[in-house]
Amino acid sequence: MKLGLGKIRDVLKTGSGTGAQERKKEQVEGRNKAEKEEILKVGNEEDKPENEGNEMELKKTGLEAKERPLSPADRTGTEKTGLIFFPAFDWAISPTHPEREERLLYTRDQIFEEGLMDLPEIAEYKPRLAEYRDVARVHFCVPDIKAQATTPHLIAAGSCLVLGDALMKAEVKNAFALVRPPGHHAMTVAHGNRGFCNINNEAILVEYLRKKYGIRRIAIVDTDVHHGDGTQEIFYNDPDVLFISFHQDGRTLYPGSGFISELGGPKALGTTINIPLPPGTPDEGILYVLDSLVLPILEDFKPELVLNSAGQDNHYTDPLANMRFSAQGYAKLNEKLAPDMAVLEGGYAIQSALPYVNTGIILAMAGLDYSCVREPDFKPGMFVQAARDRKVLEETVAAQLENWENRDRLVEAEVTKHGDFYSRRKQIFYDTDMIQELQEERIRMCPDCQGYKTIDSSAHRSTNDSRIFGISVPIYACGNCQAEAREEYRKRLNLPQYEHVYLQDKKQDEYRAYNSRTKQETIY
Amino acid sequence: MLIGIDVGGTTTDAVLIRNGEVCSAAKVSTEPGKLLDSLLEALDAISKDVPPEQLERVVFSTTVITNLIAEGKTDRVALVLIPGPGINPESYSFPDSFYLKGAMDYRGREIQPLDETEIRKTVDLIRESGFARAAIISKFGQRNPSHELEIGEIFREIYPGCKLELGHTVSGKLNFPRRIATAMLASATRERYQEFVEKIRKALEERKIRAPVFILKADGGTLPVEKSIEFPVETIFSGPAASMIGALALTPQGQTSVVVDIGGTTTDLALILSGKPLLASKGAKLGGFLTHVRAFAVRSIAVGGDSVVRVRKTDTGKKLITVGPDRAGPAYSMGGEETTPTDALNVLGLIKVGDPERASEAIKATASCLGKSETETASLIVEKAAQTIADAVNEMFLEWEQEPAYRIWEVLQEKKARPQNVVGIGGGAKGLIDGIAKKLDARPVIPEYAEVGNAIGAAVARPTLTLNLHIDTEQKIYSVAEEGEIVSLSAANLGNFNKIRLEEAETLASKLLRERAENFGISEYAGEAEIVNSEVFNVVNGWYTSGRLFDVDMQIPAGLIPAWKRREKA
Repeated sequence: MKLGLGKIRDVLKTGSGTGAQERKKEQVEGRNKAEKEEILKVGNEEDKPENEGNEMELKKTGLEAKERPLSPADRTGTEKTGLIFFPAFDWAISPTHPEREERLLYTRDQIFEEGLMDLPEIAEYKPRLAEYRDVARVHFCVPDIKAQATTPHLIAAGSCLVLGDALMKAEVKNAFALVRPPGHHAMTVAHGNRGFCNINNEAILVEYLRKKYGIRRIAIVDTDVHHGDGTQEIFYNDPDVLFISFHQDGRTLYPGSGFISELGGPKALGTTINIPLPPGTPDEGILYVLDSLVLPILEDFKPELVLNSAGQDNHYTDPLANMRFSAQGYAKLNEKLAPDMAVLEGGYAIQSALPYVNTGIILAMAGLDYSCVREPDFKPGMFVQAARDRKVLEETVAAQLENWENRDRLVEAEVTKHGDFYSRRKQIFYDTDMIQELQEERIRMCPDCQGYKTIDSSAHRSTNDSRIFGISVPIYACGNCQAEAREEYRKRLNLPQYEHVYLQDKKQDEYRAYNSRTKQETIY
Repeated sequence: MLIGIDVGGTTTDAVLIRNGEVCSAAKVSTEPGKLLDSLLEALDAISKDVPPEQLERVVFSTTVITNLIAEGKTDRVALVLIPGPGINPESYSFPDSFYLKGAMDYRGREIQPLDETEIRKTVDLIRESGFARAAIISKFGQRNPSHELEIGEIFREIYPGCKLELGHTVSGKLNFPRRIATAMLASATRERYQEFVEKIRKALEERKIRAPVFILKADGGTLPVEKSIEFPVETIFSGPAASMIGALALTPQGQTSVVVDIGGTTTDLALILSGKPLLASKGAKLGGFLTHVRAFAVRSIAVGGDSVVRVRKTDTGKKLITVGPDRAGPAYSMGGEETTPTDALNVLGLIKVGDPERASEAIKATASCLGKSETETASLIVEKAAQTIADAVNEMFLEWEQEPAYRIWEVLQEKKARPQNVVGIGGGAKGLIDGIAKKLDARPVIPEYAEVGNAIGAAVARPTLTLNLHIDTEQKIYSVAEEGEIVSLSAANLGNFNKIRLEEAETLASKLLRERAENFGISEYAGEAEIVNSEVFNVVNGWYTSGRLFDVDMQIPAGLIPAWKRREKA
């Protein structure tokens, strides 16, 4: 029935059958599609790259007129909260790893016993697999997408897309993807698993919605206890995506980043906001940051969509971190932030926190009374904010508010410091897979758009090293940047030092991966 | 010889089956308020020439519980609820609720003790308020019923006359609000249901019928009548269940069919997927409450043979035919007031009931409103009714495909099916089925005896049974949700608890199911049991595995007794 209505609405909106066609395309079982794409390899002769170049030249004339995006439907009057519960009961990193089969088992018991799925305020959706091109829109996967995005990853990401569609079609007023595996530590280049993440669910969702529905300004508020360094890196140079993360101080916890000096790339300064929290911060401190910093900035930024990377490891019983947040605190945070969509990230107190925190979040999103949700050992007032920590937070908030106020001037001053390109070198550690990555990132300092990005990345692991080169064209790039970026890609194809060369043309919605050993190019 | 009787809302149907074939059938109208009389009338009609000792089995389905609930003739029940943390219980819409302190968690560990003084006060209050029945339900009571049992003890001590229903005995499934509703309805209907069963027993005795008597449940399984008093609400919707089993009995084995039961006011749709009747993924809705009662996935739509046909003018001035949703008495050809699909089918010569002249008169009236010829109009009416039903069938399949999935394999599994057969059951099926089947690109099937298919279903249904085993090796316990008892694992003879494998858990479940089947007097069907779901999770404390949780769900699914000689009776 949901499908039926959606289809009708699409047709009504676009005045033609394009919406319906789009729908039908999605209906194609994700996996088949993904496999087909994998098979779709073009040529393996030596001279192929040149032909490719010609073909690309031809295509360029078509450009963005190819597909007119749908427009998001008006959600006023929509009552329901969309929910996908995908616990992936048959997937784990390893049997005793925190990211294991039963992570959401007790959460299932609690939310099913509460009867949450029966509530008229809740609409439960079925997950689907994301397609490879949805992943390629965000990541350079080494050696290929299949290696990084296994079936459970595609389902977790696909679940976000299902809910994103429901949201854009106004079937639901907001949505919660209660899914695993998580994704917020995954960066543009994916050599392996970092911080339990391979591909970035929120980033895949953002780029999918921007492409499909033509929206532009999006805010992501990351409330996981760990810094959302993957999401930050992916949108670091994008002034249209506001990324706010609060997390336990990076000097005391993985991944060791997320300091207030990380404000965004030259043309996007101020659209990355980090708030390191002192270990032991209770509800009071987190809600203070929300009220005094996050909400005012959101109000000012006026995003078309607010996403919440909803990690649950700020909880006072989490085994991997040292914070003192409660289920009541989480529910209140969700109520105040009122995200259009929340996506589960971390949270590993699978018995003592997750059942209660998730019940609280679901009730809060559905606008229901969550006052009776509490952990068995919780007593109101058991955690008090230390005076010293309060002062630290006040200083952080003041500094970030100032940065936000001055962001235009910061950008102006920074841009004059660079010529045609801005470049920086980075070192990235993959804790789960023990990979050391060295990157050189270059941004075209384009006067007309945010500029295309190139990444030269070498990964060092115990047995073999690999080097790749990736070029990314932003969705709202100018024509010059797009043409230049595609030329950069073509030039790299014959360079022996790169095992893989990637082109990510979000403007054209075309994704290429070239394997220089087999001389094969895959187009997603 | 086997007897099947379906007491429906309009008619009571009965069949007598000899050597696996229908030997005689009867149809009498159901007298409102006199279900028993109608049942006996139908019984007498088919059994009057049969010596009672030759009867081997009598099965009936009845709307008695459905009617009691619909008419509000249920008894008052005090609900004693122990909700613990979670949803604010104030948001529940249950009547007569008394909330108590105390809480269990998802693994059945006590997280808040009961308050005895509070319980005693509440029991006194319940007595003073004049309640004769109480249902005691605790959240996660199926994982640990000790709070429910303790409160029960206090009731027995200070209010021994009060009839008690404990939540964990009505269902072992997760979902506290549904358990409340199911326990409440069971308690509220049991006595009247028991009276009904007593009357049947007496009437059969008078007729010297000593064959075992069964009642049909909503999941298409039979239950001995004596046993059914424990589970009165499971007999709701046994009418649609009877039609479903009837369709199963009358169609080729292993195929995918949609069963279309066209009545006067509504049409009931049900699905048989590769020979297996589809159960609703969650329990049935009853009297406005969601319950844990297992029932077939039946969709009712407001289109039937007697639905009122109207001509509606659209904003653009186009004239359209509408069918239903209301019924204003019988069809015009049967002496009614309004044009109906039955009249249209009459005019087209697809059926022959009532007065053909009146049918023609009715269609003429509609035709003049519409500005089309009589035949054209009749075709349009039939077309409209068939389209509405076909659309509902497609939606039902789509909904089934879109059911949530919680495991990778479930997402990968291609859930796609379309019906091979459209099976018409019930009075109104003739005439409409061909049109529906054409739209669904399926084969129309109107089985022989379609008009008493429901009674055949009752006659040939076999018992069903479920068993949900939960093992927690860290706490060294296991429990069968349906039995409500927490048993020490050492009683299960499984050796080292920490080395239990899933196969051993499944073996234990099979053994327990056999015992349970024996207890229900249906051990000959224990061999039909299948494992529906079986899973194991580690319990990790810190970074070490400290135990395992097993869940094994088994069932004897709905099906046919071996005595029925199945063949394609189309």
